[in-house]
Amino acid sequence: MKRLKFYGLGGQGVVTAGKVLSGAVSIHENKYAITVPAYGHERRGAPVFTDIIVDEKPILVNCFVYEPDVIVVMDDTIIEKGVDISKGKHEDSVLVLNTCSQGTATEYKNTYDFKTVYHVNATQVAMDHIGRGIPNSSILGALSKTGVVSIESVENALIEFFGKKAGEKNAQSARDSYEQTKAI
Amino acid sequence: MAHYKMLDGNCAAVEAIKMAKVKVVSAYPITPQSTIAEKLSEICENGELEAKYIRVESEHSAMSCAIGAQLTGVRTATATASVGLALMHEVVNVASGCRVPIVMPVVNRSLASPWSLWCDHQDSMAERDSGWLQLYCENVQDVYDTMIMAYRIAEDPRVLTPAMVCLDGFFLSHSMQKVMLPEQKEVDDFIGTYKVKNLHLDPSDPIVIDNLTGSNECTEMKYQQAIGFKNAEDVMEEVFNEFSQKFGRTKAMIEGYNLEEAEALIVCIGSMAGTAKYVSDILRDQGKKVGVLKIVSFRPFPYKKLREIIGNTKKLAVIDRTTGFGGQGAPLWLEVKSALKSDVLVKNYIAGLAGRDVNIETIKNVYTDILEGNDSDDPIWIDCGENVMNIREVLLND
Repeated sequence: MKRLKFYGLGGQGVVTAGKVLSGAVSIHENKYAITVPAYGHERRGAPVFTDIIVDEKPILVNCFVYEPDVIVVMDDTIIEKGVDISKGKHEDSVLVLNTCSQGTATEYKNTYDFKTVYHVNATQVAMDHIGRGIPNSSILGALSKTGVVSIESVENALIEFFGKKAGEKNAQSARDSYEQTKAI
Repeated sequence: MAHYKMLDGNCAAVEAIKMAKVKVVSAYPITPQSTIAEKLSEICENGELEAKYIRVESEHSAMSCAIGAQLTGVRTATATASVGLALMHEVVNVASGCRVPIVMPVVNRSLASPWSLWCDHQDSMAERDSGWLQLYCENVQDVYDTMIMAYRIAEDPRVLTPAMVCLDGFFLSHSMQKVMLPEQKEVDDFIGTYKVKNLHLDPSDPIVIDNLTGSNECTEMKYQQAIGFKNAEDVMEEVFNEFSQKFGRTKAMIEGYNLEEAEALIVCIGSMAGTAKYVSDILRDQGKKVGVLKIVSFRPFPYKKLREIIGNTKKLAVIDRTTGFGGQGAPLWLEVKSALKSDVLVKNYIAGLAGRDVNIETIKNVYTDILEGNDSDDPIWIDCGENVMNIREVLLND
């Protein structure tokens, strides 16, 4: 079982990213996933999060994720908004970070003591492919590098979720992001 | 071919309503039910569902329209949550008293006040004596399956009683999960086309329905409803068995998990049952003999089955996701306690109010407490914070 926590800002497609990931592993990899959505007083620009649990077998547990194996941060300024992205982090937790700066990635790695940080400028990749800086599809490309889901499944799930035309652009965005992702 | 689809709980309910081929929809949106009302409106508009969508101004009207429409001989749909169900209360009782077997998803959400958008069972528990069947779901597949089975159960001439299919707000309504959907023909074969029974509205054969009824008949009519509930137990058994055979998923009014030589069992309803099962697996691995009883049918309450299924277990921890103010315990506990002999310790735990997560820790705390044999009389608010009396304390100068 893998437990994931996505952090981002309202408008970045955090919840959508979670849903697409669920579809990628559930439908395209014959595994199981559930999203545990946190709805509250969201507004554009405010911190939001969503939890996803992935497993080879049907998932019984239906509560929030407290000890994430994978932490996905879709905006590197979120820690300035009072969000502790390291909450519940354990020794083997990995970080997937959307950032334009390798320095910031290193800072995250050292500050929170992550063994591995996967980073990519997912906002820029999204701009390049879909013309809008919404990093939900591109961050899923980076997430594929962790092995939680394959990039092919992400591509297929994106096409399914957004329909052929928009889906293919999003799938290209995910693939490009996957190829640009660096692990430190 | 039956196939997998990614759906959240609300969309799973809509799929079932669509496949039941309802002809009239009257629904008023309310969080966290809103996407049910929205999606139904969308599929009525685009023709995916050949039904008339009546835009109503309140839940009271939503149920009134559904009753009137269904009496003409078609299946109808509505859905609600929380204060919407409370506003509907008057006509909820009309539906059951007129024996109109409407199937209604209730997306469980706390009742005001304090205002909360989030899940607990206060809304549907407040309707437990309103003459509706109540079935509670554990996961999204369950939402779809239970809806489909509810049509069969509610519409059975031996039952003729409306049914609430209760799904936890957000934890199910907005949780995306993989759901196996059958073919339309399989559903058609299973639930059949709707036929009005007994009371009906037909201009060529007019009758009076729901007139002022004197004390000479009211008792008998209420007794008929009581018999409907009694019959529902057998009908559920039949329908669950047939469903298991046709669709391969086992269903029961009350489901046991890790029952073998269990020293203690958690009794619960809704989405927390999954987490309770998960924790009982962990504790079994550590040598603790604990399990779970999930109550699927709260109305009728399967008290005889409960007596059978607990075997020799002598400790039951009943978790209510509602307060039970002023009672000896909350609604689920009252049912369980009164079903069993006094040699069984039945403790009441209150948890998960207004969306508070019933997490692994909470479930572990319940097991620890019941295994220690805590026999205090009062319900234990197991996930209540500290300094509770200082929350929102307003100090006024005299």
